[in-house]
Amino acid sequence: MIAAPNLVTMKGLTREFTSRKGLLGKPRTMRAVDNVNLNLPKGKVTGVVGESGCGKSTLARLALRLMDASSGSVHFDGVDLASLGTSDLRSLRKRMQMVFQDPYSSLDPRYTIAQAILEPFVIQGVAQNAAQQAERTAELLNMVGLSPTVAAQFPHQLSGGQKQRVGIARALALKPQFLVLDEPTASLDVSIQAQIIELLERFQSEFGLTYLFISHDLGLVRYFCDQIVVMYLGRIVELLPNPQAPPRHPYSRALLDSTFAPDPLKRRVIEPLGGEIPSAFNLPAGCAFAARCPKASAQCKTQRPALVVADNGSSVACHHPHD
Amino acid sequence: MALLTLTDVSVTIGKLQPLDKISFHIDKGEILGVVGESGSGKSLTAMAVMGLLHLIGGKVSTGTVQFAELDLTKLTEDQYRRLRGRRIALISQNPMTSLDPVLTVGEQIDQVSLLHLGLSAADARARSIDMMVQLRIPEASVVHSQYPHQLSGGMKQRIVIAMALVADPDLIVADEPTTALDVTIQAQVIQIMVEMVRKLNVALMLITHDMGVVAQACDRVVVLYAGRLAESNSVHQIFATPKHPYTRSLIGCIPTDKLTDGELKGIPGNVPGVMNYPSGCRFHPRCPMAQERCSTEVPMLKAAGSLSVACHFSESAAS
Amino acid sequence: MATPSISNPMLMRILRTPRGGCSAFVLAVIILAALFAPWVAPYEYAIQNLASANLGPSWKNWLGTDEFGRDLLSRIIYGARTSLIVGTTSIAVSVFVGMSLGAAAGYFGGAFDRLVMMFVDLSWSFPEILLALILIAILGPGLASTMIAISIAYLAQFTRLTRAQVMALKNETYIEATVNLGAGPGRILFRHLLPNALPPVIVAAMLATGDAIILEATLGFFGLGAQPPTPSWGAMMSSGTAQIFIAPWIIIFPGIAIATTVIAINLFGDELIDALDIRQRLRNS
Repeated sequence: MIAAPNLVTMKGLTREFTSRKGLLGKPRTMRAVDNVNLNLPKGKVTGVVGESGCGKSTLARLALRLMDASSGSVHFDGVDLASLGTSDLRSLRKRMQMVFQDPYSSLDPRYTIAQAILEPFVIQGVAQNAAQQAERTAELLNMVGLSPTVAAQFPHQLSGGQKQRVGIARALALKPQFLVLDEPTASLDVSIQAQIIELLERFQSEFGLTYLFISHDLGLVRYFCDQIVVMYLGRIVELLPNPQAPPRHPYSRALLDSTFAPDPLKRRVIEPLGGEIPSAFNLPAGCAFAARCPKASAQCKTQRPALVVADNGSSVACHHPHD
Repeated sequence: MALLTLTDVSVTIGKLQPLDKISFHIDKGEILGVVGESGSGKSLTAMAVMGLLHLIGGKVSTGTVQFAELDLTKLTEDQYRRLRGRRIALISQNPMTSLDPVLTVGEQIDQVSLLHLGLSAADARARSIDMMVQLRIPEASVVHSQYPHQLSGGMKQRIVIAMALVADPDLIVADEPTTALDVTIQAQVIQIMVEMVRKLNVALMLITHDMGVVAQACDRVVVLYAGRLAESNSVHQIFATPKHPYTRSLIGCIPTDKLTDGELKGIPGNVPGVMNYPSGCRFHPRCPMAQERCSTEVPMLKAAGSLSVACHFSESAAS
Repeated sequence: MATPSISNPMLMRILRTPRGGCSAFVLAVIILAALFAPWVAPYEYAIQNLASANLGPSWKNWLGTDEFGRDLLSRIIYGARTSLIVGTTSIAVSVFVGMSLGAAAGYFGGAFDRLVMMFVDLSWSFPEILLALILIAILGPGLASTMIAISIAYLAQFTRLTRAQVMALKNETYIEATVNLGAGPGRILFRHLLPNALPPVIVAAMLATGDAIILEATLGFFGLGAQPPTPSWGAMMSSGTAQIFIAPWIIIFPGIAIATTVIAINLFGDELIDALDIRQRLRNS
């Protein structure tokens, strides 16, 4: 049970996108994030897991107001992000940062590593003379395990893992409290991924950071996170305050079963999910997962299940959850 | 005799040698996992077997690739062409680019039967639809006349698998066939692929970086690092008693089913690129057991039963 | 994928290729001659000497004289000044205005973007010569009008190019990361987007300069460009048409000058395009 106060609270968070088929077509709307209620406890790691199209990347951007919500709110340390003016928001950004998925494009190719790491200070108007800059750069590089010689190099001279370390150094430069990590290791080799996770673990405990960790890898999320949220087509289908507990939602179960353990003794036969993922523009009535769910009933096809909180703090949005 | 045997195969591209004396075999109907991270040479191994190295300016510089009665390194392009798609089929990573966007998927599967088996159009179609049904593609006859862009990623990959299986090959080389797919779809595609190759007794060389997939699907495993073979063994032995420090560390990098905080341990350092392979044992800069000898002496591949390992300290390596 | 920059090592490499090296050499000669015209040119370009009119090339006048006895070589050298000044200045102004409009349109989008694109499409559909003629008809002939006309004629190209680059790059992750750090549009545009958008614009500007020189010569041919006695290659060719049977060199040599300059520019520009392209391809592999 997590008793820490919440650093970030999201209420009814929704983000819609409208698209028009051709010049004369009728505009259609889809909800990339649909009525998400989520609290991020301070100093803890919250994982958001789901497959492509589930809205987790959009959620990451809404959490930092890199994108405006269509409705609902995000409060950071009690402050409603939507209520902030440009300069207040800019100032607040010192306290909440993001690490991006693709190390190859998250650094401006024309900037040296030193310039990239110092840019947060320049943008936020933190005055530093040359000596201070050099010191801070060396400090940050050392913190993420990079040699100071990297400072004068350009991104294309670094490996993917090294670039990602620079991205982390840049995000931590202004000593934020809240870090959103959007699939930070998805494009890295397994051995490098583990290095980066070790690094992130260390910073989290050392600096008491709050993480919102987005990933499609349930195995990684269960290892790394203190609580897990499973998303499907923009909606939260399950909240697990205990990552190791077996999930109850059929989709979460399927996701878990699909995550193969590195142990041939644990081979399993998976029950295949039938059907196709419905188009987000054309969601069926009822549960969005009903078309593919092995446990779907008539009720599931007509009535959308609400997120029901159980005694142990977990919630699941399903009419027939596993026990 | 094994179906496919690589003996001391080295691949050169220009002045570089990204693959160095690789030896392993696949038996008939067996599923072999070829595991490695980037720069390990696993994709090049696939290309060497398929005879496609010339497309990237490379060639097999030493060693032999024995496939049944043929030495593939000695084939002409014409001879190879008759082999590809018929006796050895390739499934590559991205179904988006494997399929021709201007033909229906059905036509593309039919083509294989028409070309390699000499069937009539009607027979080819029937055979294609039968294969699609076996691969659990719903409403196969409808899907047969659809175009690739109308299908999802997982469905497209099943079509590619159908194209590989329909000519009744002896060997399928699958190069990261599910990396581009969502997790739940990946699991299903792996499952159906394994089911089919078992049913049709086709050998499968499954190239992947995902140890979870290997554990789930393979009979035997070959681990590559920086262009060399590190270890090879049955799948149970490789996970239970890995003899090479890299294999052991690699298994330790996988977060699935690790429960304690801090249990996940990365391998320090970087995966070396082909331009700066370390001397001696290529893993030594990152190896927890490295000694003097490792930086100067290249470890030879030692065999003992089902195990092959290239490490100076494999005898004393505990599990 | 961001475009690679035009760096010193790249320029050095270009100079080593036969195409790049030769064209750079020729351009250097032309530019230096134009710069140091008063010292290089053997005679004053305006001095008339009717007694020596229409003389062929000789030791006294290397390229001969025109119908007023003026030394052709000197006029061509001074004419280079006109061509180069008009060419480079007009294009420079065009690039500046075009990039500003294009960047703003690409980054902010919306109604402003639509307005800008309407203008771009409109002027794009006119051939440059027609546009220039219309503008000069309004402004009257002369050097200044020529430069304004050329600037406006080529504006659309740079606006469109910059807009496309900015639109492509603004979705790159590093731009999102910079916004995330708190940067405003100004910083994003001037420190990140425009520098990355610059290389293809530079190449286009270079090639457009060649076009602009031809355009200036064309306008000069019709007497709409620089007015006499300012020498202009186009005007020289125009007045040379009357003498074409008695003194063909009057029309030939300015023509060769124009051709040589523009060919050199185009060859160098081609080499630059190739160099940028290779870097791009190597990056991707």
